[in-house]
Amino acid sequence: MMNAVENITSHYLADYENSASALPGRHLPWLQQLCSDALQQFAQQGFPSPREEEWKYTNVSAIEKKRFSPAASEAAQAAVDSDWLDACRLADAWSLVLVDGRFSAQLSRLEGLPESVIVCAMAEALEKHPDRLEVRFGRALTRENHGFIHFTSAWFSDGLYLHIPPRTVLDKPVQLLHVVTKPDSLAVTRSLIDVESMAEAEVFETFVGVDDLAYLNASVTEVLVGDNARLDLYKLQCETGKAYHFGGTYVLQESHGRFQHHNFSFGGLLARNEVHTDLGRAAECQLNGLYIGRKRQHSDNHTRINHTQPHGISREMYKGILDQRARGVFQGRVVVFEGAQKTDSEMNNRNLLLSNDAEADTKPQLEIYNDDVKCSHGVTVGQLDEKSIFYLRSRCIDAETARNMLTFAFANEMVDKLPNRSFQGLVQAQLLAHFPQTGIVKEWL
Amino acid sequence: MSTSTQQIENLIAQEYTQGFVTDLEADTFPPGLNEDVIRALSAKKGEPEFMLEWRLQAFRHWQTMKTPEWAFVKYDPIDYQAISYYSAPKKKEGPNSLDEVDPELLETYKKLGIPLDEQERLAGVAVDAVFDSVSVATTFKGKLKEAGVIFCPISEAIRDYPELVQKYLGTVVPQGDNFYAALNSAVFTDGSFVYIPKGVRCPMELSTYFRINAANTGQFERTLIIADAGSHVSYLEGCTAPMRDENQLHAAVVELVALEDAEIKYSTVQNWYPGDKEGKGGIYNFVTKRADCRGNNSKVSWTQVETGSAITWKYPSCVLTGDNSVGEFYSVALSNNYQQADTGTKMIHIGKNTSSTIISKGISAGRAQNTYRGLVKVLKSAENARNYTQCDSLLVGDTCGAHTFPYVEVRQPSAQVEHEATTSKISEDQLFFCQQRGLSPEDSVSMIVNGFCKEVFKELPMEFAVEAQALLGISLEGAVG
Repeated sequence: MMNAVENITSHYLADYENSASALPGRHLPWLQQLCSDALQQFAQQGFPSPREEEWKYTNVSAIEKKRFSPAASEAAQAAVDSDWLDACRLADAWSLVLVDGRFSAQLSRLEGLPESVIVCAMAEALEKHPDRLEVRFGRALTRENHGFIHFTSAWFSDGLYLHIPPRTVLDKPVQLLHVVTKPDSLAVTRSLIDVESMAEAEVFETFVGVDDLAYLNASVTEVLVGDNARLDLYKLQCETGKAYHFGGTYVLQESHGRFQHHNFSFGGLLARNEVHTDLGRAAECQLNGLYIGRKRQHSDNHTRINHTQPHGISREMYKGILDQRARGVFQGRVVVFEGAQKTDSEMNNRNLLLSNDAEADTKPQLEIYNDDVKCSHGVTVGQLDEKSIFYLRSRCIDAETARNMLTFAFANEMVDKLPNRSFQGLVQAQLLAHFPQTGIVKEWL
Repeated sequence: MSTSTQQIENLIAQEYTQGFVTDLEADTFPPGLNEDVIRALSAKKGEPEFMLEWRLQAFRHWQTMKTPEWAFVKYDPIDYQAISYYSAPKKKEGPNSLDEVDPELLETYKKLGIPLDEQERLAGVAVDAVFDSVSVATTFKGKLKEAGVIFCPISEAIRDYPELVQKYLGTVVPQGDNFYAALNSAVFTDGSFVYIPKGVRCPMELSTYFRINAANTGQFERTLIIADAGSHVSYLEGCTAPMRDENQLHAAVVELVALEDAEIKYSTVQNWYPGDKEGKGGIYNFVTKRADCRGNNSKVSWTQVETGSAITWKYPSCVLTGDNSVGEFYSVALSNNYQQADTGTKMIHIGKNTSSTIISKGISAGRAQNTYRGLVKVLKSAENARNYTQCDSLLVGDTCGAHTFPYVEVRQPSAQVEHEATTSKISEDQLFFCQQRGLSPEDSVSMIVNGFCKEVFKELPMEFAVEAQALLGISLEGAVG
């Protein structure tokens, strides 16, 4: 067992020697240092194991057994079916497409951006704005320390760099599309979203894979929200049924900064979503999530809200639907630091179990070092309400349709929280696609 | 700091009144732990061969184990070789009646308010008193015997009822269950043994009083309660220790077995010495308590009031094996100064239609850390399992911490599991409301804190409810529901 881990770690370490030259920005001394530190950490830690408390319910040893290699050629990019991709696109949005972890200019649509705003690939940003990145890169990751973080830091091949200067409001959303087209490939990306004071933006991250490929997609997004700034971040994860997904979002919110995250995790054989945020004085955050599991899917949702300053407000609501042999995990932690008086925090997690073989594990945590706070959390695990089913049946709806309607309604509550029609449409289409009896439910919409 | 906060602090900052030392000649083993110590201990107790084997097995397993580090508590590593594993008040040949018990000892218990004197008892509570490592006296033995109830020190039970002990000991908490349980299995010196025969409702409440007296000793007691089919028992447990500067270890194991239709109610008021204001001294309370609802329709209810100990590490659990079995857990944990409490429960649902309720109230003051850690696990076989959990924390002062770490694992779609937790300080509005109605600030705080804990106190037997409330420094009025 230990040998296997060492093997796979050394496989990635050895591979790195060969690939480093092809990775962007590695000529910059600060990035070189950062990558070699990360590599060293990764060599020591490897991928996380369930013995670690934060990974208790998620075993990633399947990833360690497989060898994923970065897709080198750019030929694949042309091969992406544009009709298929269009189905994942948001209408009326700027889009930046990463194919197998690398920017594709051909598929991206970035025309008409305001002058002052930077939306570009990370590789390009490392060439054009290395100084700006040097002070910001990794800033939101100071509290993070596990194998996937280091792995991503060392291996990233591209990503998104978004910079909104002060007092600027983006009038259209930016969509970041992660597409994987190669079997057994490794797509590793690092993105940085920097919204300066009093600026506002919406970013929509989408993860998709071609056909039914197995691959590893590891993506880390750092978010800096300036004072009085606002960022709404949406994540739609529809990886293939054989894919492994690690997606981490790490946020620093300055005072009065507002951050909203909507997380839809539908795909992937094994998916781990992390959303961690640090709230400055009187900052607000809202984390919403919906995870759906079928077959043997495993979906782990890990959130952490650090109230480091007074007057912060956080709201969190995650819902899960688990069918067949799926396993859903929710681990949410709210930490109120000493001195963070008047913190107001609520966390909720609701799970629906639809089959005898499904499993829900949930671990909401409150860690409070202060007295003048208002914190609560709630968890439920259960099945559909018999009374509601009875009500629908008494209205001449057959039992199965009634169940489907109620299940859909349970999930759709999270879709309804989306402020934008086109987001709702896109997420709802994917929700139905991942729903077993789509036809019946569609009739009722 | 507002006046109201000061009031609360005054209420909570009560001095520890049970911290005296009794001068007694004791028979104590030199510090250290090895197989010879265990052999000597077993010989001293006159145990049958199977017990010695059992202890040695546990000891060998313990040597391979590591101290658990996952709990939310901080302490210096314990040197297990510096502890004496046996200390007993010196006495002539075992006392047959209370007249033969060392008067010094009786005085101690009187000081603690635990009258062993049967005649003076008002309420019918049978008491087993454990002093350091051995049980010194058990009251009401005769009356209990009439009902067929066995209530005696476990060392006596090992000698007199070996078949019962052998059948049940270690079946709920196996020798290698965890680090402290393994240590306890190897070196436990005494404790209580209760057997309630079929269909018997125990005529009185049973009670054990634990007292650590000698310095540099660890107390390792083991309690085993077996409620046979259709029986009912209510068991109370209390504990105190003298004030000492060094930390002392208390690693107990409690096993409860409830067979078909049986009911066990287990109440604890834990008041070990918590250490002084600077966090010096105090008892390390590392306890494994578990109940097995083995029979259908059985019920186990844990009620605990945890106010003492420098560190509490305790998770009274219920394994709900039988169909329709019920597990309950009611807890008030108060931590002040530098106390650390990491406590909670585990409810493992295995049988059909099993249900469990968890009500946990944590009060944290000073520089204390108070953690609720609980697990609700519903296995695939537990159809229609039901759990309701409520954890509330009350914070007093801005230097304390209150944490809630629940774990919920469900593998059965017909299960309904609910968990909710809140953390807040005493609301200024409530204080204002009470005072506006003419209550003094102290009374207002009392009333609010009382109300906060009421759900748990009402589960306690009368005498204990009184003691618990006195411990929290709260007046009694209208509190016992």
